[in-house]
Parts: sequence; C-alpha cells; structure tokens
Amino acid sequence: MADDLDKYVIEIEGLVNTVGPGIILHRDLNLKVRRDEVLSLVGGSGSGKTQLLRVILGLKRPKAGRAHVFGVSWDDPNVKKVRDARRRMGMLFQNGALYSALTVYDNIAFPLRERGGLAEEDIRAIVNTKLAQVELEPRHGKLLPANLSGGMVKRVSLARALALSPDLLILDEPTAGLDPDRSEGFVRLIKRLREDHRFAVVMVTHDLDTLFELTDRVAVLADQHIIACDTLAVVRAMDHKFVQNFFGGERGRRALEHS
Amino acid sequence: MPSRDAALEIKTLAQDPVPLRARASGDWTFHGLKERSEDFARHLVEIEKQPADRIAWDLTGVGELDDAGAVWLVRAMRGSQRVDVSQGHREILNQVGQGLLVPQEPERFDPLSGVVWTGEAAAGAAEHLRDGISLLGQLALDVAGMVRRPREFPMREFSAGIFRSGVTALPVTMLVGFLVGIVLTYLSALQLKRYGADLLVINIVGVGVVRELGPMLASIISAGRSGSAITAQLGVMRVTEEVEALSVMGISITSRLVLPRVLALAVALPLVSFCTDIAALAGAMLVSSFTLGISPGAFLQALPQAVEVVNFWIGIGKSVAFGFAVAFVACHYGLRVLPNTDSLAVGVTRSVVAAITGVIILDAVFAIMLRNIG
Repeated sequence: MADDLDKYVIEIEGLVNTVGPGIILHRDLNLKVRRDEVLSLVGGSGSGKTQLLRVILGLKRPKAGRAHVFGVSWDDPNVKKVRDARRRMGMLFQNGALYSALTVYDNIAFPLRERGGLAEEDIRAIVNTKLAQVELEPRHGKLLPANLSGGMVKRVSLARALALSPDLLILDEPTAGLDPDRSEGFVRLIKRLREDHRFAVVMVTHDLDTLFELTDRVAVLADQHIIACDTLAVVRAMDHKFVQNFFGGERGRRALEHS
Repeated sequence: MPSRDAALEIKTLAQDPVPLRARASGDWTFHGLKERSEDFARHLVEIEKQPADRIAWDLTGVGELDDAGAVWLVRAMRGSQRVDVSQGHREILNQVGQGLLVPQEPERFDPLSGVVWTGEAAAGAAEHLRDGISLLGQLALDVAGMVRRPREFPMREFSAGIFRSGVTALPVTMLVGFLVGIVLTYLSALQLKRYGADLLVINIVGVGVVRELGPMLASIISAGRSGSAITAQLGVMRVTEEVEALSVMGISITSRLVLPRVLALAVALPLVSFCTDIAALAGAMLVSSFTLGISPGAFLQALPQAVEVVNFWIGIGKSVAFGFAVAFVACHYGLRVLPNTDSLAVGVTRSVVAAITGVIILDAVFAIMLRNIG
C-alpha cells in the first residue's frame, strides 16, 4: 500500500456515478494516475468527463466505489489530512474562475494567504515568480480579471493553480477558447513548467494538438467506464467506434503530422 | 510519499577563508518550513551576522524544493556566489530570485486626494443623472413606438412581471398592512377616548391609510422585494454578457428589459396598495370594535362619509408613480452593474436605498402639490 501511495496520485476503483434521478453515468470505473505523468481524459460529449473531474476534485460524492487522491478519500473524517491533500492539487477551470472582485495579484496571492505561515514579503516574491513563470509582468498584477484577454485569464488562473506548488495539476479544457497560436504557447508553457516542477497532470481536452504534444497516457471514457488507459500509440490502434472517430480521420492525421 | 523534513546544518571552520559552511537537506517546501519556522528564524539570525561571501552553501542534499523554500534560501544566501546546487534547483532559485527583485511600488499619499475624490464623486453623480435622464427618454420613445406597433409589446415579460411583483407580493404587504392598521388604530383610540371623540378614529385611520400608508407600505416593500430582484437580474445579465448579446442581435434593451418591468410594477403596485388598504382597514375595524365598541357595520357605514373618494384616487395615483419610480431606479442601477461580483452587490444595495428614498421624496412632493384636495 505504501508503495502504491508513492506511485499513484489518483486511484479510482469501482466507481459508480449517477446524474439526476437514477441515470447511471459511470459504472465500475477504474483509473490510476501516476505521480510523474500527464494523463489525458478523452470521451464523447455526455460521457461524463466533467463529472469524473468533479469526483476527483471532491465536488461530487460518488454513489459507490473508491476515489482516492494522494491516498486520501474526500470523505475522510480527518479534516487535516483532507485539507493537506487538497493543498497538494491545483485546478485550472475552463473559464478561469478568477475572483472578479480581486486583482490579478490578489488572485494569485489568495491561496498563499489562506495557507498561512508566510510573510507578506515572501508572498510578494512568490506571486511575482508565478507571474514571470506564466510570462506575465508585475504590472499586470494590478489589473482586474474583467480587463484581461482570454489567454491572459488562462495564464493567471494557471499561476493561481500553481501558487502552492502542487503535486497534481488538473486542467479542464486548457486550450479551449484560445487561438491556435496561443494554445500552442500555453502547451509549451505547461511543458516547460513541468520540467522545473515535476507535477502530475490530469487534463480533459478535445484539442488533438494539445493531446499529442503533452500527454504520456490517454484514458478513454466510453460505455460508462474507462475502456482503455494506455499510451497514445496503443489507444489509437484500438478498434472502438469512439476512438476511431476521435483519432482517425483528417483531423487526427493532421495533428499527428504536426507533432 | 516519504517526506524528509527540511534541515539546515551550519558548521564553523575557524582556519578557512570561508569560515561558515551551511548545508541544507530534506524537503524545502511550504509544509516543511511551516513546521520548523522557529528553528529557521534562529538560523537566519546567525547567518545574517556574517557577510554573505563568508558563507558557503551546499544545497545538494535538498530533496524537493518549492517556492516557499526557495524564497527562504534566496533571502538567506543574499546573492552569495559560493553555492553548490543541482541544475534543476538552481533554475527554481533563479526564478524566485527574479521575483524577489521586483520592487514594491511605494504607496504615495496625495495631498490633493480629497479634491480628486470630490471631483470624481461629482462627475460620477452627473453621469448618473445623465444616464437616468437618457434612460427615461429612451423609455418614452419606446412607449411611443409601442403605441404605433402594439404587436411588438413584450406581453409575456409584462404579465410575468405583474405576477412576480404583484401577486406574489400580496401575502407580505397585506400582513404588514393589517398589523399597521391595528397599531395605528389602537394608538389613535387611546388619545381620542380622552376627548370623547371616538368616532374620529375612522377619519384619522381611514384617510391616513388610504391616502398615505397603503401606497407607502406597498412601495417600500416592493422596493425591497421587486426592486432588488430587478437590479440583481439585470446585473447578472450584465455580468454574463446577456445584455450585450441582446444589443448585438439588434434588440432594444430598454424596450425588451426595462419597459415591461417598469410598466408591470406601475400596474401592479396600485393593485397591491389597494389590497394593503383593505387589510389595514380590516385591522382598524377589528381594533375599533374591541377597544371603542364601534361595530364593523357602523365602521363601514361611517367610512364613506369620513373619507372622501378623492383620497382613494390620490392613493392609487401615487402608487402608479411609486411603482414606476421603483422599477425605473432598479433598472437604472441594474444596467450600470460592471462585470464583477462586488459591483453587483453594491448595485443592488444602492438600488434599494435609492428606490426607498426616492419614493419618500416623491411622496413629500405629492403631499405639497395635493394639499388642498381631499
């Protein structure tokens, strides 16, 4: 078990998930994420990718099954353990979810201040470091989220997600709403950050370029469970309707050539 | 994951040109530092006694290094060149070092800030007034347009508005009216009994309720209920860019969003205040029969003589104006909300305060204008 903990950041076993009155979304779903990998979650629309993310984030309680993050279940009565586990993960929401009443600087400083134990001076240094890491300048710190462009919102929320130096970063459609040039830049940014800070990444994406560029393994969510979780080459060779539609065809070939 | 606590050893080599050797090991993370913050504060004092170039740093034993650990180390090393560190960690230390170099902008005190503030407040108020007037004008144009093309009138929004701000408001306004009627009659009866002028209670309460209290109660409760709802709804539509979406589609914001709400409240509020009147008079009737011995039958018979009908029409007319004012103020504030949560909260608060104040001011104006009638 101790060995497992060291190896996996997320362990999901026999998960059953429902939406609304008794519609089963996931049945006997198993997924393990290693602590040094980038895992992409793909699936058709309505397959429950977002709901699975919500379970991982502890925003939704599964009907049955085990969902552990850093070896901790979100239902664990030990509040401190749960809090510590929460602080080891960062989340990049699809639309940024920046606090609209706070400036960029205060948005990034927020988790640091909540964490406690850091002098304001140190927080300032870390916020400025994070701003530089996502290729923004200190002067951007004074802006309000309403004044940012879409790409900047993504970068600021990435900086906020990374503020506590997480071991696990969860990305929900990281390149949605960015133009191809920007999304390429964003992917490069995440790649570079991962070189310095070895965090695991779980991402949901529809963008094949992002997928080919970043991912180590792909988990395919279809027919109410994970039908495969393996390297791109293995998954692409699968004979499944969704996989063939998703990776096959012109779109997939172009993205592959590109990478 | 096995976590080794952050540790710092400091050795002194008396004969060496670099007499202090600091060796860091373990995981230098948020967690590790917080647990041992006191030890580290002591170390820092010791280190800072020496000039930076007399300390050699060995960071090869450091396991994990995150920003909090890096900030501490960079600050302790003070730009020392004698640092032995792995390539990956050097990169993190450099990044954090850059972050520490960013100067903090000093907060300057501006002696003219009071003047600036006053000027900005005045300009803001002027802009507010201008926006309000232009909204009113636009509304008038929309009404004229609707008269010419009645088919375009947003009937669904209008009837939904009457239901929401009229029908659903009845329970609370009628309850409040009933209770106020009781209290008012009771207090008047106590005084009037002393002079034997018992029957005058019908005049006092009747005129007071029908002409003043009914419309006022109804509109103040509506300002809190419907006014805040309208501002919040339009404000959220601003935040989610729904208002912008309407204008892009070429749909007039005023005729689709503002007009039906303003007209709905202008129609609903007289009806609500009529019901409030009835509830308040019922309360008055109840108390009169208990404390003054005026039977309900006698009360109803005396009422038309005590209260001229014109008072009732004045009350109803004022309600129309109050309803219009409350909804207009609410829409005005709702459309001014900026796309952030703070602005929404401020907008709703100001809208309710402005609507209630506005209703009371309007009421005073009416009282002066109509002082010779009724």
